[in-house]
Amino acid sequence: MKPDNPILAAAALVAGLLFLSPVLYSIFMSFQTADAYYRGGLDFTLDNYGRAIGQYHFARYLMNSLIVSGCVTVIALTVSTMAAFAFARFRFPGGDLLFAATVATLMIPSHISLIPNYLTLAKAGLLDTYAGLILPAISNGFAAFFLRQYIRGIPRALDEAAYMDGATPLQVLWRVIVPLSRPAIFSMGLYVFLTEWNNYIWPLVAIGKDDLYTLQIGLARLYRVNPGEGLVDWPLVMAASTITIIPVLFGFLLVERHLVRGITMGAVK
Amino acid sequence: MSGITLHDIRKAYPGGPEVLHGVSLDIRAGEFVVVVGPSGCGKSTLLRLIAGLERCDRGEIVIGGRRANDLAPQNRDIAMIFQNYALYPHMTVRQNIAFGLELRGMPKAERNARAEAVARTLQLEAYLDRKPGALSGGQRQRVAMGRAMARNASTFLMDEPLSNLDNALRVAMRTEIKELHRALGATIVYVTHDQTEALSLADRIAVLKDGHLLQFGTPAEIYDTPADMFVAGFLGTPAMNFLPLDRLSPSPVPPGRTIGLRPEAIRVHADEPSGLALPAKVLLSEMNGAELILHCETDAGRVTAIAPRHEFSFHPARVWLGCDMSRAHVFDSRTGLRLEHAAMEV
Ligand SMILES: Nc1ncnc2c1ncn2[C@@H]1O[C@H](COP(=O)(O)OP(=O)(O)OP(=O)(O)O)[C@@H](O)[C@H]1O
Ligand SMILES: [Mg+2]
Repeated sequence: MKPDNPILAAAALVAGLLFLSPVLYSIFMSFQTADAYYRGGLDFTLDNYGRAIGQYHFARYLMNSLIVSGCVTVIALTVSTMAAFAFARFRFPGGDLLFAATVATLMIPSHISLIPNYLTLAKAGLLDTYAGLILPAISNGFAAFFLRQYIRGIPRALDEAAYMDGATPLQVLWRVIVPLSRPAIFSMGLYVFLTEWNNYIWPLVAIGKDDLYTLQIGLARLYRVNPGEGLVDWPLVMAASTITIIPVLFGFLLVERHLVRGITMGAVK
Repeated sequence: MSGITLHDIRKAYPGGPEVLHGVSLDIRAGEFVVVVGPSGCGKSTLLRLIAGLERCDRGEIVIGGRRANDLAPQNRDIAMIFQNYALYPHMTVRQNIAFGLELRGMPKAERNARAEAVARTLQLEAYLDRKPGALSGGQRQRVAMGRAMARNASTFLMDEPLSNLDNALRVAMRTEIKELHRALGATIVYVTHDQTEALSLADRIAVLKDGHLLQFGTPAEIYDTPADMFVAGFLGTPAMNFLPLDRLSPSPVPPGRTIGLRPEAIRVHADEPSGLALPAKVLLSEMNGAELILHCETDAGRVTAIAPRHEFSFHPARVWLGCDMSRAHVFDSRTGLRLEHAAMEV
């Protein structure tokens, strides 16, 4: 490999540090006592993490967020991939209309459906349940649209070869299309997971019980913990924030190596 | 083993013109049929219809005595080699070959053994664990062949399966295909551009042009009694010579006839012979092993002839062509159709 241009490398390093600095600073802050933070000074402690997990239930919130975001990601990807396969490969009555409707959902701001969704779930008795958090997020028009475009780029000859080999449509999807769409599915998965992980409004509306709160709700409530008149316990908030971003970082590292290109090389002449 | 009957098949791709205009073929069970024709004449389309990957607009497809127009491809028990290979890029060569067996529920050890055996006949053992992206064109083509050969299908459709191989491999693979046909007794429909393949492999040859079936018969029938000038000119190298009859014969003859003479029906003389012969100027002389291929200009038109190399200098300036009229074909110049009994009159 050619050695990188040193000026570019230095510039990239500076830019990287610039982007990282708020994160590094907040992690640094999370190890300070509130006292030291407000007085100025250095006082290392793990107490903020202890309080966030023990006193303020962040272990529970973390679990809730993982369950909800995990389920939403898995179910939404499953549904979207199947829909995308159908839209990309089959012509059926009403297919074009359905696809247009799917694309149209992308143009509706999500907040518009907040109240109808609330009423529907209330009627179904699903408020204050995991299902109530998960269900509204599993139909994802964007994921279906994005995956359809990707699948259309896979040579149809591969489907045909599999059919000739005796595969059913579901086997074609599972054994040929899904493995070949891995980069798209994983990037979409990352996107869906992050969106759900950061979701604030819907859990706020749909959940009223402390033991179903997600991390974002829990975080917001930490602002009310005040160490003194009119003050926010920032080190505590930063500890909770760190707890919130760590799974996402791991998730990203896990997924990144699947985002490879050139996966259909050598398929057709 | 099952026969395939196509009855008056018509096919147009969505939004395109019709590409098959009423093709009827009756392929017997266990028969080896080779489909030939110029590029774009509809050969691949015909295979795709038999495979069930396309639906015909009109006509009927019967496979093994059963109407198959509405049968899904996976239910037709047909193995296919695609013209563009269509290998699964995420699977190794071994997995590619064994995939069809896996779908049929064959245990892993058994299907891998089978895949390895197939790879051995195709000289692919060294590549079993590679993915298609890391193979050469000819190796990919052999994987495509292996994928079909591993299966015990009743019918095989092969779309130019040897087009990308070198000569030695091609001859070896031809033998393998022949062997496969003999061992399985399967019906094979085989598309090729290679005349030698067509003539040597086929039980019967179907000649297709512009979506029409021109002739369907044994290699000998196609070669000896071609239905029209196109078929006559398409099979056989060098191609048949066509000369207008009235320019060839000194005595009055019926007008509008064309004589077809294969190069082997023309005897080349270095000096003027005693019998009837056309004087010819040699334009180009090609060395072809033991023979010379001479492209000549005569009063009747261009003629290609074959001369034994040892009797001639490399580029003879002038030769005499003696035509064996008993082996000449007579065609109607306008329709191109062969006139069956006309040869005698000349
Ligand atoms: N998917 C398609 N959509 C529209 N037209 C098509 C399609 N596939 C083939 N055609 C057209 O149909 C005709 C026949 O094509 P086909 O592939 O059957 O030819 P072929 O005889 O196999 O040619 P080759 O020897 O070059 O492979 C061609 O004119 C081609 O342009
Ligand atoms: Mg073709």
